[in-house]
Amino acid sequence: MSPIISDIIKIIIWPPLWQLIVLGLLLPLGVVVFIIWFERKTAARVQRRIGPYHVSPRIAGGLQLVADLMRYMFQEIIIPKTVDVAPFIMAPLIALILSILPVVAMPFTSNASYFPIGMRYSLIVALALITLSPIFVIVAGWASNNKFSLIGGMREAYLITAYELIVMVSFLSASAATGSFDLVKIVEAQAGGKWLGLLNPLALLAALIGVLLSTSGFPFEIPESEHEVVAGAYTEYSGLVYGINMGAAYLKRMVYSILIALVFLGGWRPYTPGPGFVSGYLIPSIVVFIKATILMMIFSFLRAVYGRYRLDQALDIAWKYIFPLAVAGFGLSLALAYLGIY
Amino acid sequence: MSGIVRGNVGFNDLKIPGMWSRKIGKDLYEVFIGPQHPGSGHMRIIIRIDGDIIVEAEPDMGYVHRTMEKLSEGRAWIKAIPLFERMAIHDACNVTLPYVRAVEKLLGIEAPLRAKYLRVLLCEINRIAAFLYGFGIFGVFLGHSTMYMWPFGDREVWVELAEWLTGARLTHTYPVFGGVRRDVPEGFTDSLRKAIRYMRRRLEDYRKIFVDNPVIRARLEDVGVIPRNLAIELGITGPNLRASGVRYDVRKNHPYEVYDELDFEIPVFQEGDAYARVHQRVQEILQSLRILEQVADWLDKHPREPVMHERFWKTAPPLYKKIFQETGRVKLGAVMAIMKIPQGKAYERGETARGEISYYVESDGGNKPYRIRIHSASARNALVYKYIVPGHRVMDLPAIYGSIDYFPPEADR
Repeated sequence: MSPIISDIIKIIIWPPLWQLIVLGLLLPLGVVVFIIWFERKTAARVQRRIGPYHVSPRIAGGLQLVADLMRYMFQEIIIPKTVDVAPFIMAPLIALILSILPVVAMPFTSNASYFPIGMRYSLIVALALITLSPIFVIVAGWASNNKFSLIGGMREAYLITAYELIVMVSFLSASAATGSFDLVKIVEAQAGGKWLGLLNPLALLAALIGVLLSTSGFPFEIPESEHEVVAGAYTEYSGLVYGINMGAAYLKRMVYSILIALVFLGGWRPYTPGPGFVSGYLIPSIVVFIKATILMMIFSFLRAVYGRYRLDQALDIAWKYIFPLAVAGFGLSLALAYLGIY
Repeated sequence: MSGIVRGNVGFNDLKIPGMWSRKIGKDLYEVFIGPQHPGSGHMRIIIRIDGDIIVEAEPDMGYVHRTMEKLSEGRAWIKAIPLFERMAIHDACNVTLPYVRAVEKLLGIEAPLRAKYLRVLLCEINRIAAFLYGFGIFGVFLGHSTMYMWPFGDREVWVELAEWLTGARLTHTYPVFGGVRRDVPEGFTDSLRKAIRYMRRRLEDYRKIFVDNPVIRARLEDVGVIPRNLAIELGITGPNLRASGVRYDVRKNHPYEVYDELDFEIPVFQEGDAYARVHQRVQEILQSLRILEQVADWLDKHPREPVMHERFWKTAPPLYKKIFQETGRVKLGAVMAIMKIPQGKAYERGETARGEISYYVESDGGNKPYRIRIHSASARNALVYKYIVPGHRVMDLPAIYGSIDYFPPEADR
């Protein structure tokens, strides 16, 4: 092998780059395409329809999403005269980047040579990066200069106040239990089937609902609620930029799912990472992705069952029931730590 | 909800003769919901919001006005039936039946008993289909996509039955002056009973996924309360009126066709909120199924007879009678198109899926109507937005809109 090719391969599998591009963007995008297909198919199944079919009948309409993506790519991007152009274009792009950026703080293996960025506070950093993207939804709504966009952006702002604390407290209950902010240590502490989600279901439930609130999944699909605010903050968007907006929401949910898989569902366990790229990096990350995909499937199934709550009811539920639940989960984690389970 | 503001909020401050004026509110955000909006029908609701609370709401109708009353003056009497069907195409028989009955009144004839039963049959099929349509729209307004697809799919059962009976899925033009266009096909009542059983089963499924769903209950309970006196004051009709505790149904209070011979009840709910209106419609469907069962029994027990008035058979060529005996289909001759209706005035009313519809028909003895005045249910029901929406949150608007089951083409005519 010539040195140039091996250098290129080294650069590609350089953990931070590999993590952001492959595990942060490409693989989640593939999972998202699958999840959207799955969502449409399960909803169709529940609703006694066929769902996507005509684009590729042999694989049950699996290429429908690719076709939709093509349509978004070649659709004219209309930028209304009244919008503030720079934030209007930049907001979805920054939101997309910020949606996948938390992945660089999440290790997918215990093999130290494949840590994206080795650090002791990876859980805190990942959570901090996740909370940045909603700001740009609000920016998009404001820059659109449209009443529905503005109301949609404001709803997002309301909901941040509801879910942010829940997400933080419920995820940090893992630190309370294991005594570490390092995701690797949190995962390794769950070895041998001691999944935090099983021992502390309260925190897991609070985290799941917090993620639903955060990514506007049903029954909390409020900022984009079609029948009041058309498409919420994305009303004025069209073409690829609209597609990026929608993709960013799903990617964010995927990143959250990965984090839940790491923190509550034992990460790459029961697999024990060995040396080398394949057994030390590839297989553990696939295990994590499978767990995250199952979570995504659960999230998408809710669409077929629930309507959406009212904005004030969502805030009500979040503060009156889910936040105490998250705090109780935190307390349970402290109890687990006191009993010396971790 | 406690904060319902009644009356003309902010509209009384300035009075200009002949003008409708409004004081501009400070800190109010004006949002135009419709007519190009996924949450509005062919209408517009202008809402002014303070934060998340709607302070004023103005229903702005008229986007699908087709001058039906005027159009009907320029065409033959029978051709007005397909025209009036366009008010509510999925409720076609209910909407046109009072017109047919009013003209029959002027002619001084009455349809044969079998035709009356057949009219009731299609009326109830239409009613169920219209309720299911309303449920579907309501479901998607609340973000419940399953409740959008299920009723629309189950509505197909009734639409197919109507097609089998009349030949058309929606605009049937089934009742005509003196009777109906077709007798029931062979095996129709068996399929009807099957559909009734199926619908009862499906209503149980709806209850599980929609009516008893905690999210839906949270969205609908105590939302959009129409108090009993307001409902009477505004002249609201139909299921919305009955959900507010008023026992009024044209089928019972002013029975027409064979409704007085059939055994059914008028469900009434006292709460008057959106959730009561959901229950009301479920109960109405159950009562319609009950009526249909009785009609099916009657049709099975009684022999076939001509489904048109004998005056029609006198004027029709013998061939027409032969065609009817062979196929069960009434062939309408040219005589129907040039028919002159005796001079006079007639008023008839009927109960559609959305409430009471009434026709005032005036004839000058010609072959075209002199004047037809229609008063439809949706036009009355739409007024309610102005009075019950203020005080609610923005997200309550689709819930209230859907629960009223407002149908703009019927209101605008």
